[in-house]
Amino acid sequence: MKNTKEPFIHITRREGMPLWKGLLIRAAAVLIALILSDIVISAAAPRSQGFFGFFGALFSGAFGTERRIWLLFQDTFLLLGVAVALVVAFKMKFWNLGGNGQILMGCLACAICLKYLGGKLPDPLVWLIMLVASLAAGALWAVIPAIFKAFFNTNESLFTLMMNYIAMNLVAFFISYWYPNGTATMPPLTEGVLPPLGEGQMGKSLLPILLFAVVTAAIYLYLRFSKHGYEVALIGDSKNTARYAGINVKKVIIRTLILSGALCGLVGFVLTGSVNRMIHDTMDNNMGFTGIMVAWMGNLDPLIMAGVSFFINFLTRGMAQVCTKFGFTSEALSDTVVGLVYFFFIGCEFFIRYRVHFAGRQNKQRGEETPTPPEDGERKRAPLSKDAGEKEAN
Amino acid sequence: MFTTLIKFLTSAIDFGVIFLFGCAGEILTEKSGHLNLGIPGIMCMGAAGGCLGVKLCYLASPAPNAFLVVLMGILFAMLFAAALGAIYGFLTVSLRSNQNVSGLACTIFGVGFTSFFLNNAVLTEGVVAQLSQAGNNFFDAPLPGADSLGWFGSLFLDHGILVYLAIVIAVIAAVVLRYTKAGLSLRAVGESPATADAVGINVTGYKYIAILIGAAIAGLGGLCYVMDYMGGIVGSTVDQTIQGIGWLCIALVIFAMWKPAFAILGSIVFGALYILYPYLNSILMIIDPDFNLPTMTIPLFDIIPYAVTILVLIATSIVGRRETQPPASLGLSYFREDR
Repeated sequence: MKNTKEPFIHITRREGMPLWKGLLIRAAAVLIALILSDIVISAAAPRSQGFFGFFGALFSGAFGTERRIWLLFQDTFLLLGVAVALVVAFKMKFWNLGGNGQILMGCLACAICLKYLGGKLPDPLVWLIMLVASLAAGALWAVIPAIFKAFFNTNESLFTLMMNYIAMNLVAFFISYWYPNGTATMPPLTEGVLPPLGEGQMGKSLLPILLFAVVTAAIYLYLRFSKHGYEVALIGDSKNTARYAGINVKKVIIRTLILSGALCGLVGFVLTGSVNRMIHDTMDNNMGFTGIMVAWMGNLDPLIMAGVSFFINFLTRGMAQVCTKFGFTSEALSDTVVGLVYFFFIGCEFFIRYRVHFAGRQNKQRGEETPTPPEDGERKRAPLSKDAGEKEAN
Repeated sequence: MFTTLIKFLTSAIDFGVIFLFGCAGEILTEKSGHLNLGIPGIMCMGAAGGCLGVKLCYLASPAPNAFLVVLMGILFAMLFAAALGAIYGFLTVSLRSNQNVSGLACTIFGVGFTSFFLNNAVLTEGVVAQLSQAGNNFFDAPLPGADSLGWFGSLFLDHGILVYLAIVIAVIAAVVLRYTKAGLSLRAVGESPATADAVGINVTGYKYIAILIGAAIAGLGGLCYVMDYMGGIVGSTVDQTIQGIGWLCIALVIFAMWKPAFAILGSIVFGALYILYPYLNSILMIIDPDFNLPTMTIPLFDIIPYAVTILVLIATSIVGRRETQPPASLGLSYFREDR
């Protein structure tokens, strides 16, 4: 071994970066991603609107009219609801990638109730049955993988992924069963649906906004202050420790995933019962996956996640406007830009969690932050527990 | 009855190799300890790149050389796929990001980019016809003797070049992993990167190479779907279809127990399940001419591959033998200074 030559780049762990600095790095990363998208899109667009035209279109797409603002907040809280549902499982390091399927099952259960009970029973009773059915269907779709995870340690990420496609095809089956000659779409249901809470778009959007604001707050309290929440966090840190502390790990896994799936089912209930009043097999709008990104980018902290969810929806809604303004025919541009933002956001975490030293500069004092060796216990934290986030929360 | 069965098997192989590409690529990646959930997006990128490559050939000359078209398709598919693989690799190897999250981001980006790129940059006027000509005449051209050798011909010779390429790649991957020093080192990296590092294996290098080659191979799956199976027809939901196939590829890795040779068989089984509906109907019609499976059962048939995957997942986890387990450090990033 050569001892004389130092490696050019040397990386060490970094602990306890101040909150504002972390936020600044993240904001810079997102801004770089947006500017990069702007340059590429402006260069490739059939009708370029100039550098600032991109940002103008983003903002007008998200905030342009009152209706758009309500839709933006509605989508923000729907996505937040999904992300919060997934966080419950992620805290336990259970990779619930089945949000899409759990939402769809909620939609399906709700649609079945509407189809067969709507107009035949008094509306409030239908709503109650719908709600229970949606929660149960979502929970069922999550608890099946959870049971196998608990008893046989079956890989939950692949299991839940496969459940997505089963749910999708079940929905497709029911639609073609109900409308054999239809084009896989469904006319909006009228009987038994939840009434709007007011006039216009506001009335339609208010229910998801209020409902998921309450749900998010409740889950925050549940995870942070209840005994259940503590058990979940302990299992996430170490299953063996949890077992040693007398926690019935199997029971907690199953119980937690029932909650996670039921919350996704609740989103499906709102989607079919109130927002869209119908069902199709892509109604989940990929929120199960987007929710994962929101949960992770939000450090599994519901408050930060609300901000992230708002930003993602701002971007999605804004990009739709960019597409129209810049003359693109495909709306998929939005996913591309959002994907790029994810890359930069994920990548910048590195600079928050690690410090990069270049050869020859090792011994120089770099500002106020001399690297202090962290506690041994702190080092082995797996990425999911996100040291920074926990620190901020404390 | 017999001809239907042969046709069914032939189609199963044709469809199965799409899985085989994705699965072989993912096995290589996972052997380095990286669970790449970006495979669906990477396969989409392969389809996008392949279409671009074919389009470029037609731009250069109105009647391009068949060999050149296929080569350009393969080259661009691998390039596009490897580009997204490189992003995944950079995020997870160098920046040590969470693999699940990075992979999902790759899928979201890749699927979106493909749909956008195909619609806005590739499928301009006239290209649709060119793609389907390239697909039918070049990519899906059978070997000589396919028509004259009866069932043997249609079962083994009536495939496009990509089908044979997939099987060759899977066999090579199996041999490399099992019998070469590079394969041993790669497996060591996936099982215990710290140990591999200690004996002087370049952990970062192996991870990058495995991820890049894996992505390039998976990208061929997307190309194979568009150019060979669909005969160059690029539908409006091609990105969604390939995404669904991509998740099955990841599942197939478990079905194949991380062995590329098993993946050949597994992929044909998956291919058969995926295309079961039309053939089951015609087989049942031989028994009872009036029989007709209602079309509304199609989604139920589409469930079968996913349901079978779940059963296999459960079975392998219950049996829990060491050979059927994933590489020990799968999903964990390696940081030399962690002890």
